[in-house]
Amino acid sequence: MERIIVTDHYRPPIGGYDEAIAPDGTVRPTWSGLAGMLGADHLGELLERRRQADRILDAEGAGHLVHDLVLDDGVRRVATAESRPWRLDPIPIVLDHAEFEVIAKAVEQRARLVNVLLADVYGEQRLLRERVMPAALLYSLPAMRTTAPAPIGTWAVHLAVDVVRTGSGAWRVVQQIADAPSGLGYAVMNRAVTARVMPEVAGAHRVAPIVGALDTLRAALAAQASSVHRNPRTVVLSGGPSHPSYVEQSYLALHMGFHLVEGGDLVVRQGRVWLRALDGLEPVDVIYRRVEDRHLDPLSSDTRLGIGTPALDWAAQRGLVSVANAVGASLTDGNALDDVLADACRLLLGEPIALDALGAREVLGTTPALTAGGTLEATPVVLRFHAIVESDRCTVVPGATGRVLAAGDPPVAPTSRSSKDVWVVGAPATVLSARRRAPQPQVDLGTSVPRRAAEALYWVGRSAERAEFAARAVRTIGSQCDLDPTLQTLAGGQWASGAVAVLRSVRSLPPVADEPAAGAGSAAPIHHQVAVELRGAERALVDQLGTLVVEATSVREFLSTTTGRVLGRLARVQAEMAAVTAAAPAAATTATVGTTATDADALDAVLVDLAALAGLATESTVRGPAWRFLDLGRRLERALVVLGTVEAGLGAATDPIAFQPLAECVLSVNESLVAYRRRYRSDVVIDAVLDLLVGDDGNPRGLAFQLDRLREHVASLVWREGDDLVHRASLGAMQTTDHAAVLGRRPSVDALVIATRGPLLELADAVVRSWFSAPANPMMIGRR
Amino acid sequence: MSAGTNPPVVRFAVEHRTSYRYSQPMADGYTVAYLLPRDTPQQRVITAEVAVDPAPDEREELADHFGNRVLRMGIHAAHDHLEVTARSLVDVMAPPPVPATSVPWDDRGGAHPAGGRDAIAVDPFLAHTATTPALPLLAELTAPVFVAGRPLVDVVRALSSLIHREFQFDNEFTDVSTPLDVVVAERRGVCQDFAHLAIACLRSRGVAARYVSGYLETAPAPGQPKLTGSDASHAWCSAWVPGTGWLDLDPTNDQVPPQRHITVAWGRDYFDVTPVRGVVVGPVATQTLHVGVDVRAVVGTSTGVSETR
Repeated sequence: MERIIVTDHYRPPIGGYDEAIAPDGTVRPTWSGLAGMLGADHLGELLERRRQADRILDAEGAGHLVHDLVLDDGVRRVATAESRPWRLDPIPIVLDHAEFEVIAKAVEQRARLVNVLLADVYGEQRLLRERVMPAALLYSLPAMRTTAPAPIGTWAVHLAVDVVRTGSGAWRVVQQIADAPSGLGYAVMNRAVTARVMPEVAGAHRVAPIVGALDTLRAALAAQASSVHRNPRTVVLSGGPSHPSYVEQSYLALHMGFHLVEGGDLVVRQGRVWLRALDGLEPVDVIYRRVEDRHLDPLSSDTRLGIGTPALDWAAQRGLVSVANAVGASLTDGNALDDVLADACRLLLGEPIALDALGAREVLGTTPALTAGGTLEATPVVLRFHAIVESDRCTVVPGATGRVLAAGDPPVAPTSRSSKDVWVVGAPATVLSARRRAPQPQVDLGTSVPRRAAEALYWVGRSAERAEFAARAVRTIGSQCDLDPTLQTLAGGQWASGAVAVLRSVRSLPPVADEPAAGAGSAAPIHHQVAVELRGAERALVDQLGTLVVEATSVREFLSTTTGRVLGRLARVQAEMAAVTAAAPAAATTATVGTTATDADALDAVLVDLAALAGLATESTVRGPAWRFLDLGRRLERALVVLGTVEAGLGAATDPIAFQPLAECVLSVNESLVAYRRRYRSDVVIDAVLDLLVGDDGNPRGLAFQLDRLREHVASLVWREGDDLVHRASLGAMQTTDHAAVLGRRPSVDALVIATRGPLLELADAVVRSWFSAPANPMMIGRR
Repeated sequence: MSAGTNPPVVRFAVEHRTSYRYSQPMADGYTVAYLLPRDTPQQRVITAEVAVDPAPDEREELADHFGNRVLRMGIHAAHDHLEVTARSLVDVMAPPPVPATSVPWDDRGGAHPAGGRDAIAVDPFLAHTATTPALPLLAELTAPVFVAGRPLVDVVRALSSLIHREFQFDNEFTDVSTPLDVVVAERRGVCQDFAHLAIACLRSRGVAARYVSGYLETAPAPGQPKLTGSDASHAWCSAWVPGTGWLDLDPTNDQVPPQRHITVAWGRDYFDVTPVRGVVVGPVATQTLHVGVDVRAVVGTSTGVSETR
């Protein structure tokens, strides 16, 4: 066997156990393929591979701010500043198959033990009767339920087990997790990344594949359905985008082909669990829950309202829905039962426990890990393995996720965000053959859409359009100001008044402020107001992008994979712009009035990303109810934008000298300036502008085009109220040809805007009321 | 007020009405009720029913781990109110006399008898819960009570008197979420708090104790004082005395054993046996709650269970 002596760049502690380096300083044979990378001259290469890994994870949505979203006023989600991305160290941990077998045996035993233990404490209670487990201990656990849960089938379908290697080379169990265990999705995701960033090494090692784990889990979940249902409907119950492992929940739902739902999407009636879908209530047979026990049912535990589903426990106990893992399964989690597990194992399974719990004073072994600063460090890593139980069979996934421990981290709860892929090598060929995906009859996910998802998609459409308008308005007016500073005082401030009105319409504000804008002072000249409103529109852009990213993140499974990449970029740009606009000085005091806080390049980049998003929605989304609500939101918002800009820029009668730049601004904001010039090749005239923006059904930016699409959408939804409202809006959009000015306004424009906007705003209300109004505000009723 | 002045069996008629009003109609309402009294060695339930308005779309009765009767109800039509009325007729026997003495409270062998049955029926009530924590300051408070070698029955009596003497009944001060350390620090609370306090004291000395939810007679017999806590559901506790069994103590009224109390359910603490709890789902709304309890001895039925059946 080739022996490689490692350089000074990686030195594990003497006397400990290192995964990569043997005590004699040579690389362990299983790590031979990685030996070259641990040398000094390869550090740069490792860093580049890490950057590549970051980019790939970013595209999966694991790289942006989904970890720290909070509920704003309990209704809409807003993004908070801190982002907690999932990060992958490109250096995997390599385990020999024989070593894995030792761990797998213990993990498999824990899975059996947890299942029989839960069945016992909620059933016969032999452990208490034979005084193996003190009743005082069991009943002091907050997880202990006093109305016995009774699962169909298996108590714990999916169990995660954390193990570590000690300094003497022995494996120890840190904890087992039956309560919504996380990590399986990340393991599969990590493997997809290492396969790409370390292709030559992965290929040389013959790494046992783990992608089959998702099929195994899928089959195990299907097996949980009570046999009367031959076509079980399975959902992944998520904690929502504010849950720390939301990305993984969404990933699993997408890859197993299940709906991702939140507590409020489900309702319990007559002992059954139902999904609130667009077409009404659809029965649910199996729930793969990623919501913790204590949050599952607000009736059973004092949880925060709004996460769980009231009476879910009742349905689970009646046996008409199977919850995996079962309600009450959190009992064996953590370390509370460590002292009794070995005895419980002997009593219930008749065998000694395979791996001991980690002792408080045991020293941990090490693994080479890439630090933030780009050096190699010998660090302890906790390995999370997964067992999947299907009836009598238990599969231990031949791979794991490593969590790098930061200095002082307890092994049960690493704070570090760096993870590692864990490879099992040298397995016999039989282990390597991936399990074939069994055909699973499922509901048609294209037509069955949870209401919450439809609502989120609708807001994705609306906020994307509103963000695009904000960006375009700031970009256009900002550059008009920069190119021609005289515009601001042109014609007694007529251009500036129009520009202010357009910018205010970004925030749906009336054209003129009732009160002078803050900081502008009562006598502020109109061109100072332009600067103030530019800032306001920039802030609106930041807000809309935030809403867009958050809403889109909550329905990622409906959007194409490439969309994830675009969202990741938008999330980053949004964070940068938020910082820039927050730091920008108050507009009225800046010397260069009119200059925007965000530079034009950044705005152009946002516009490109938004265009990409719109293109993906059109070209990469299957037409169905989900897409329909996305597009309905977009069309509705765009129609309102056209009306708002027409009112703001063209409603007031202006001198021809001010009309020209103002009308160009309105055309440009509506992305129709080039079209106008190509068609009319003349100075801008009001009739032609209105024709292009309002009447021309061939202009995809015009009002008529939006109304046509809205008409198609409401027709497809077979929705009478929507039909009527779109019809009324269309009647309102019939324009008169006389655009003469009366008392400083153009009455024809004002009439058009009023007659069209009214029904459209009603339509916006009606969409929410008719399609999304899930009564989802649970309230605890009083006591005592 | 000794046991001897009470007739051997008293029949009580209980009516416990809980009414909620919501400012907006709710789409779904789920209610869990521990309102149906259970049989005990000292009481026999003659009739018990729970009426619900509006009529629930689903209703199920089951037993919990401790043998309590649990009622689950679901309403799935728009409703702006919920009224749960529990009515029962219960024959309550005078408690047997408390033995003159018992095992000392600190006799570990006695307090923790080995054997299957007690591990299931008694040991769960040794567990400290979030509501009945083992606060260090309880040791100081109860030092005069838990004297080494003192018979457990005397300890139970002394603990009941201590809480009654040192703590003030104040139904404005606490609610269901007031933690025990605040109750102890402020020396005030209601019957639930005093029951939790007694339980925490007993459990932290290794004595199994359970929380008992029930009622007191609203209108006392002529010549007897009206007891505290009679206008609402009441709570007290029960201590396990090896060799004797469960011994009830009502620290709110300093009665060992309590007289003329009707037991509904028992558990580790209030949250195991909350009389009515629920969740409603609907638009954002406010709620108002009214609770009324009426407990009366039924005239002419004091001649014993055997003649009334």
